[in-house]
Amino acid sequence: MKKFAPFIFFGLVILGLLLILNSCDDGRNDSASNPQTGAGGSMARFAITGNTLYIVSKQALEVYDIGDGGNPVKTVQKDMGVGIETIFPYRDNLYVGAMDGMYIYDNSTPRDPKLLTKYQHIQSCDPVVVQGKYAYVTLRSGVACRLGNTPSSLDVVDVTNPAQPQMVHTQRMTSPYGLGISGNKLFVCEGALGLTLFDITDPAVPVFKQTFAELPAYDVIARGKHLIVTGEKGLFQFRYDDADKIEFLSKIPVL
Amino acid sequence: MRATILCNIVSKVETAKPNRCAMKNLFQLFLLLAIVTSCVTDSSDPYERFPFDGTGYRPIYKTAEEMAKIEVIGAQPLAKPGKIYVLEPYLFINESGQGIHIVDNSDPKNPKNISFISTIGNYDMAAKGTFLYADNLTNLVVFDISNPKAPRLTKTVPNAIPVNNYPPFDGVYFECVESKKGIVTGWEKVPMSERPNCSR
Repeated sequence: MKKFAPFIFFGLVILGLLLILNSCDDGRNDSASNPQTGAGGSMARFAITGNTLYIVSKQALEVYDIGDGGNPVKTVQKDMGVGIETIFPYRDNLYVGAMDGMYIYDNSTPRDPKLLTKYQHIQSCDPVVVQGKYAYVTLRSGVACRLGNTPSSLDVVDVTNPAQPQMVHTQRMTSPYGLGISGNKLFVCEGALGLTLFDITDPAVPVFKQTFAELPAYDVIARGKHLIVTGEKGLFQFRYDDADKIEFLSKIPVL
Repeated sequence: MRATILCNIVSKVETAKPNRCAMKNLFQLFLLLAIVTSCVTDSSDPYERFPFDGTGYRPIYKTAEEMAKIEVIGAQPLAKPGKIYVLEPYLFINESGQGIHIVDNSDPKNPKNISFISTIGNYDMAAKGTFLYADNLTNLVVFDISNPKAPRLTKTVPNAIPVNNYPPFDGVYFECVESKKGIVTGWEKVPMSERPNCSR
């Protein structure tokens, strides 16, 4: 038995390494997927990366050090224009959605983000998600977001160089709210109209696949193959695969 | 009409004395004015930016004491679910303006709604390790969630989040906010017999 012990040991080491390496997901969804910090939806005003808590208030980006978890200490406040609404951290950047555009910050020094640029668009409510080289922004018109009759849209912005974002694609949408992204799938919540699925195998050109009309959707989190959707009917969870099969898991309904 | 205007211009240029053409145009102008002014609404305020339809927004006030009343109660049903935050194995679901549902999502096929943190003016949250951060109107509040069935409020950071003194809509009339009445936690649309003084 003694003779086999080293082999068993090494066998276990190799097995362990393989398991660790395989437990990384496909690497394309590395937006705040740290198990310690979790993830919020695209409509979030709060976000955490590492030991820093970011809050977007109406007119500023507030940064708190949460190294001592129970005791947030404000480090810096970045005043911005009015109508700041959402924040999405991705790798070394922060994408902040505002009524008149999307602000992109360099977050390599988390306690002191530096504004790189502002991608401007017509006045609207606009959550954003980022994956790889592209940011996906939904621009919603509507009484709280923008006066007038201009249509809502989904914009794809190339952020390979976050200091110089370039819109590469836009398409009309009816009433987009939050978005979720994972692998080759982009989910866009459309309020009472339901949840819309796009294929982003070509990440610059989202291809409409279908709208799940029976699922009113306000925001969505897509992690790995797991989908969590919140809307006026309640909270729904699904699992999906690489084809377009979506399997219902559970719901917590609004009664 | 165009002919008479042209006629009017021409006649003014050619001669200063009134003639039949000018009189006709004056009469038509008077008629036009009479028609237009009869369409004006009966609002006596010359500064009305858009029509008042008999409804407006009224602020909902809470005192600082009410705002600070944060309590943990048993699981509550979802009524107006808002934003969500995942920190495995837990799922935090915001109840718009009311607080946070804590759900044990270890088995996504069978999520368990375990508790509710009642927090006024709450719309957002984020979590890390054993702490949950949330907004409580103008406060940033921190909960220790090492026991998610019994989260404990551990810290309140005041004046962390500014609050608007107007409803989140454009093209509406609303009662102006009076800070002596408390802190605005929300807005309700109500019928109003008189147009309120504030608008946006």
